[in-house]
Amino acid sequence: MTKAQVLVVGAGLAGVGAAVELARAGQPVLVADRAPRAGGAIHRQPLPGRAAISSHAARWDRLIAEAQALPIDWAFETKFAGLDHTGTALLSGATNRLMRPAALVLALGAREAVRPRTGWTLPNVTTAGALQIELKTQGLAPQGRVLLAGNGPLLIAVAAQMTRLGNPPVAIVESAAPFAHPLHSLALPLSYLREAAGYMATLIRARVPILTRAEVVAIRAEGTALSVRVETPKGPRVFTVDRVGLHDGIRKNDGGVTACAAVPVLALGDCAEVLGARAALASGRAGGIALARALTNGTPRETVPSTTLVRERAAQQRLARIYAHDAMARLADLPGGTVICRCEGGTLDDLRALGPTPRVRELRLLGRFGMGPCQGRSCGEWVARASADDPGLPPPDTPLGRARWPLAPIAIADLIAATSDTGAAPLPSEGT
Amino acid sequence: MDDLGRYDAIVLGAGVIGASTAWHLVQAGLSVALVDAEGPAAAASGASDGAVSVASKKPGPLARLATASLLYTRNLAADGPLMHGYHPRPTYIFGSGPAEGAAIDALIAKLDALGDAVRLRRDGAADLLPGTGASVERLVELTGEGHMPGYVAVAGYLRDPRIVKIWPARVRGLEETDAGVIVDLGTRRLHASRVIAALGVSTTTLFPQMPVIPRAGQLFVTDRGAPGALPGALTSAAYLLAKTTDMTALPRPPVVIDPLSTGQYLIGSTREDHADPGRVDFATLQKLMTRAAETWPALRNRRVIRAFAGVRAAVSDGLPIVGLAPGSTRVTLATGFEGDGICLSAVIGREVARMAADEAPTPALSGDLAALAPTRFTALQEGAA
Repeated sequence: MTKAQVLVVGAGLAGVGAAVELARAGQPVLVADRAPRAGGAIHRQPLPGRAAISSHAARWDRLIAEAQALPIDWAFETKFAGLDHTGTALLSGATNRLMRPAALVLALGAREAVRPRTGWTLPNVTTAGALQIELKTQGLAPQGRVLLAGNGPLLIAVAAQMTRLGNPPVAIVESAAPFAHPLHSLALPLSYLREAAGYMATLIRARVPILTRAEVVAIRAEGTALSVRVETPKGPRVFTVDRVGLHDGIRKNDGGVTACAAVPVLALGDCAEVLGARAALASGRAGGIALARALTNGTPRETVPSTTLVRERAAQQRLARIYAHDAMARLADLPGGTVICRCEGGTLDDLRALGPTPRVRELRLLGRFGMGPCQGRSCGEWVARASADDPGLPPPDTPLGRARWPLAPIAIADLIAATSDTGAAPLPSEGT
Repeated sequence: MDDLGRYDAIVLGAGVIGASTAWHLVQAGLSVALVDAEGPAAAASGASDGAVSVASKKPGPLARLATASLLYTRNLAADGPLMHGYHPRPTYIFGSGPAEGAAIDALIAKLDALGDAVRLRRDGAADLLPGTGASVERLVELTGEGHMPGYVAVAGYLRDPRIVKIWPARVRGLEETDAGVIVDLGTRRLHASRVIAALGVSTTTLFPQMPVIPRAGQLFVTDRGAPGALPGALTSAAYLLAKTTDMTALPRPPVVIDPLSTGQYLIGSTREDHADPGRVDFATLQKLMTRAAETWPALRNRRVIRAFAGVRAAVSDGLPIVGLAPGSTRVTLATGFEGDGICLSAVIGREVARMAADEAPTPALSGDLAALAPTRFTALQEGAA
């Protein structure tokens, strides 16, 4: 019998980093990713025939060359549905397979958060991350007049990338006042400062306005355009644009995998702790090495303290202070008709109708929050913050109950087509 | 500890049985508190498929009580608390192969004996319902049954403002005295003349001598689509057999395809002896969904978005437990419905409320209710001793 594969979900820096170390140590590895190629979000590769615009391309090229020299199996355009309590994982899409992995490595990357605002569900209002993916896969800047709004360093990065591709955004609307903390900023690692300085030079040269302590308070459709009302410390502004990219930071993304005694599960990179690209690669490699050693020796996994992770954690904490803001309180002032659950169309009024302290079951069954395909992964934070006395406080980990598999919807036709190499006893299928 | 609250009756458990009982008690003019460790419909009632079905009940007392409850549910839906909760719809039972065919024949004989509350409308093959897959050899259509999600029924009963709702509050113990019953909630105590324990799988924490065991059933929910394509639930005859047959001895996967008002489908189910609502597995999903899509091929274009297990409260002898707790004159048990509580809740709530008010049961039901009395287990234990 052949040795069971380690299943690595996610072909970004953390996933490929882990796969390389596992394969080097002689473990059979299958890497699954929903995208057509390896790269993840940070190193998303262009579609065939499009120009690559990825920054830090050399880092990725080195890693992928390493991976290609090793015996690693790949399953692209394939979704991971989860791991069940029997230790069975389901893959569906281009590859349809029920399998019993020797171990599971989750390297799903972070989840982008977008705070509800009036008009945030209109067509042509997307996440800033989605604009960046579009830019990386098409090799072109998103077209038309684009406004970027929200919170965090990604807005500046996307804006600079758009500018370099010839379509600078109309403006950046930032909740925080990141330039008001020069001392904090100077304490960031040099690599952060160099990257930020590059972006800022591009934006200043192109005269892209950056409005700080500013908020998009309403987006309205006007014909095919979007009218965006912005509050700034100097008074209100209105922008007429074609597209809006919203972004309110990124969150870890490791919910939905059942605890399973039979299969070791290891979450690596941004899905476990949002620390960025350098940490993701370091976390992937270190996790892969530790897992391979544990599988080979049959010993418990030992976590090796990593100087990279310690440094990146400190840098991320500093960044969080630089980008701190109090805009979460605005959730309480939104009109009742504002959608907070996009899957089921649940509004703030629907939430308020459940009374002051709804139980999780009431939120789900009566309010239908967390009942759509995302199972509350996206809306849970906003439901929790909107019902809290202080929306600024961090919400509980699973405000709408524990997420379960499927991590992503499972196409029933794919499920039926899935081959099984689990050895599970089948349910009866013929008259006996 | 604070002594707070005196009520004529306290109902423990805000599932569909407890909510119906509380509602019937306040209609009789009693002051009522409803206590739950979690909140309304937090266990089996909130995880139910919502079938108000006589067809799926075991022959005998359960099927007769279910028939009475179906008729009464229709009344409560006409102008009462279930007005927005219950919707009539056809039921389809399907099967292939001799074992399922025999189960359908037995079902028709059972319904004949129960009168005309539920009637066989058509008996044929797949062509009887457009959209059914060709693999279905036998298909029957029943009329008279309906759909009522458990949490909607609970919400309907709880709309009566006279029910005092207390949750989350875990009951630490009950103390019965000559004057009444004290319900210990840890930080405070409530007093009542009567207590009704409708605790489902939690029954044994307060009544360890009752043989109530958890029996989980896996359920899967699809994404939305246009509602109305399937007018009623499609239940495999194997699912009827699963009530009395070990899972491994079933002729085929025990599939139920339930169309929801959202345009989603709810697909189930299994019977497994554990209490973990998170225990769902891909092999079972694949087996159930393969048969479900053969039966209703439109499912091939849908996606599964949610998976969970509903945990039913089962009883060792397969019958619910309804009646005074052994040795008690003030505490009534109403539990162990193993998924049948949705259908039975209307009549059981009414009859348990009568018991708590020291009224005789509805005469036509008294024999079947007596078969559910908890004393049947104490008699057994004494006999064995």
